[in-house]
Amino acid sequence: MSKTTNQKSDSQKNTPATDTTMTRRTVLKKGALGAAVLATASVGPWVRTSHSAQLELRWLGWEHYNVKKLTSEFEKKYNCKVSAGFFDGNSECYNKLRAGGTKDFDLFMADGFWPRLYFKQGLSQATDYAKLPNIKGCFPSFLPPNYNLLKEENGTGMVAAPNCWGGYGISYNKDKIAKEDAETIYCLFNPKFKGHLSTSARFEENIALAGILVCYRMGTINKPRPDGKSFNPYVLTDVELAGCKKLLIQQKPLLVTRWNDEDTLERLFRAQVAWASPEWSGIYRRIEFDRLDGKSKLNFAHVLKPKEGGLGWVDTWGITAGVKDSEKLELCHKWINYRLKKENMVYVAKEIGWAPTVDVRDMLPERYVRTLFLNQTDSIKDLYQFDAPSSPEKWERVWSEVEAA
Amino acid sequence: MAVKQFLHSKDLKALALSLPGALFIIFFLFIPLATIVVYSFWRTESYTMIADWNLNNYLTILTTKTYLTFLFRSLSMSLAVSFISLIYSWPVAYYIAKYGGRYRLILTMLTAAPFFTGILLRVTAMQQILGPIGVVNMFLSNIGLKPLHLLMYSHYATGLGLIYLWIPFMVLAIYLSLLTFDFKLLDAAMINGASPLRAFWEVTLPLNWIGTCIGLALVFIPTFAATITPKFLGGVNGALYGNILAHQFGSTGTWALGSAMGVLMFTISSLFVFIVFKTVNLNRSGYTGKIAGE
Repeated sequence: MSKTTNQKSDSQKNTPATDTTMTRRTVLKKGALGAAVLATASVGPWVRTSHSAQLELRWLGWEHYNVKKLTSEFEKKYNCKVSAGFFDGNSECYNKLRAGGTKDFDLFMADGFWPRLYFKQGLSQATDYAKLPNIKGCFPSFLPPNYNLLKEENGTGMVAAPNCWGGYGISYNKDKIAKEDAETIYCLFNPKFKGHLSTSARFEENIALAGILVCYRMGTINKPRPDGKSFNPYVLTDVELAGCKKLLIQQKPLLVTRWNDEDTLERLFRAQVAWASPEWSGIYRRIEFDRLDGKSKLNFAHVLKPKEGGLGWVDTWGITAGVKDSEKLELCHKWINYRLKKENMVYVAKEIGWAPTVDVRDMLPERYVRTLFLNQTDSIKDLYQFDAPSSPEKWERVWSEVEAA
Repeated sequence: MAVKQFLHSKDLKALALSLPGALFIIFFLFIPLATIVVYSFWRTESYTMIADWNLNNYLTILTTKTYLTFLFRSLSMSLAVSFISLIYSWPVAYYIAKYGGRYRLILTMLTAAPFFTGILLRVTAMQQILGPIGVVNMFLSNIGLKPLHLLMYSHYATGLGLIYLWIPFMVLAIYLSLLTFDFKLLDAAMINGASPLRAFWEVTLPLNWIGTCIGLALVFIPTFAATITPKFLGGVNGALYGNILAHQFGSTGTWALGSAMGVLMFTISSLFVFIVFKTVNLNRSGYTGKIAGE
């Protein structure tokens, strides 16, 4: 007789009424049943109360805004979980949201004309400024009637709330390039600086900057535009685009490289391999601070608005159309309001190096105020705002032709 | 009865064993590929896919000089990188297999050591070596020589970066093939009058050709699809086919054109593998009569 049979006999002795023997099959059956009950119970709405459930806030934005200190403070204060997804540029965010991202994210970041586009496409919903008491701290330059891109195009609702702002000007080495040479976009196309120029790899801004120069030279920049609107370097005619292509191809032999990340540009600047490049001014600031601290002798400056015109941006927080729940909507507003808080904006300015749209000049050292251009916030109205190319297909073709040339 | 027989048959076991692999291929290769094929016949307008069936994307990439330039750049880069990796890897793998003794495993692991870190880190390291302010050019500047421009953001830099990235695959493939190779066959060839070169050409290489082919495929395909290395090392003229393809899906949102480019890339890669493996003579390759570990 086998060992198993013996064990069965013993158990039968102790349980006369019913057969409760634990065979492998019964163990598996009961185990599965138990697991199913547990699994159902754990997801069942009757188990948890809405009070105990922790809300999760998911935002999609630029990685540098993912400030752990601010996030953890917010999580503690509002008993929620905050998670973030990142992108490199507006078009990438737009593609993500269009491909079902409104269900995956509650908040998004966008700049220039993009928040309006999201709203128009039904990807976002209105932001209630009444729920953002900290908005009163914003510079008037970034609020209607001075800055209208955060307002619905044909309405009064607000499509997003401002966060930080800046330009896409030219940073240059003052010891290598004269001021008058640097204050024009032509600086980036000037054969005099062959082998010492650099640009970012962003195709939109490369074409848009070239577009400003081309239209300035063609004299079309101040003339009536085919769409009846004012000049926008992201809405160019075929002739203007052809001019951009020609200019960008001529520029190629002058460039050291097109940088993909700011660290590369910083290395090129510090080694004095690159003398000028368009950028958001963050690298200029780091080098300038080192000079002020006596750590470096490099002498850099940043041209926020070249004489032909420049690019600018106000990046914002918007709420996706996927947020339906009122509690979540409330939390989204709390997050935006929290980020607009003066102390948090000071932290962003100091730790990340972006210029706040909230007036925190009295809380920042002078060097920050100067290099973040906080005394020049009015210049935002003179900068052409980041936008989506009017025809991504045409712009793609132009850029591919430049890359292949 | 027939069902019962089937349930206990070897066919069912074989089916069950092949199921995970088959499901993997269906879900992670065929379904995504089918989606890409469908998209490639559509068109994109302002970031929106429109199911307007047409062949324009294929006509564009096959007849426009711009896209053919990228294709030619990538093909020549892939062939060059594969060939150089092949030439470099054979002696390395041969040395490890024949003379490595009890250190063979360690030596092989050392070949793969760069894989202990991520690709981005490795490419950044290459940037630090080859760039205008990299180790090589800094050294040249310090001894009063001019920096080497061909190393700075160029096709050569991309090529070097790609060789560095993928060579371990080639070494490993050839080494694994050589593990089962009976080196006594070389003695036999030489006793019969063959020079070492001829013995290699007529005995070693043909008998290890399958491993070599696997190595070629493992280097050619990722090189053909490379995006990160040319992006960071290639400079202004460095964009390859993979970069332009990635651009369609990332920045420009021209997914339909990108899909057609993807289908073409898959077709060329498959064709390469097909042609390479057509050169394999199964009667000679890979089987030497020696049992592994003997």
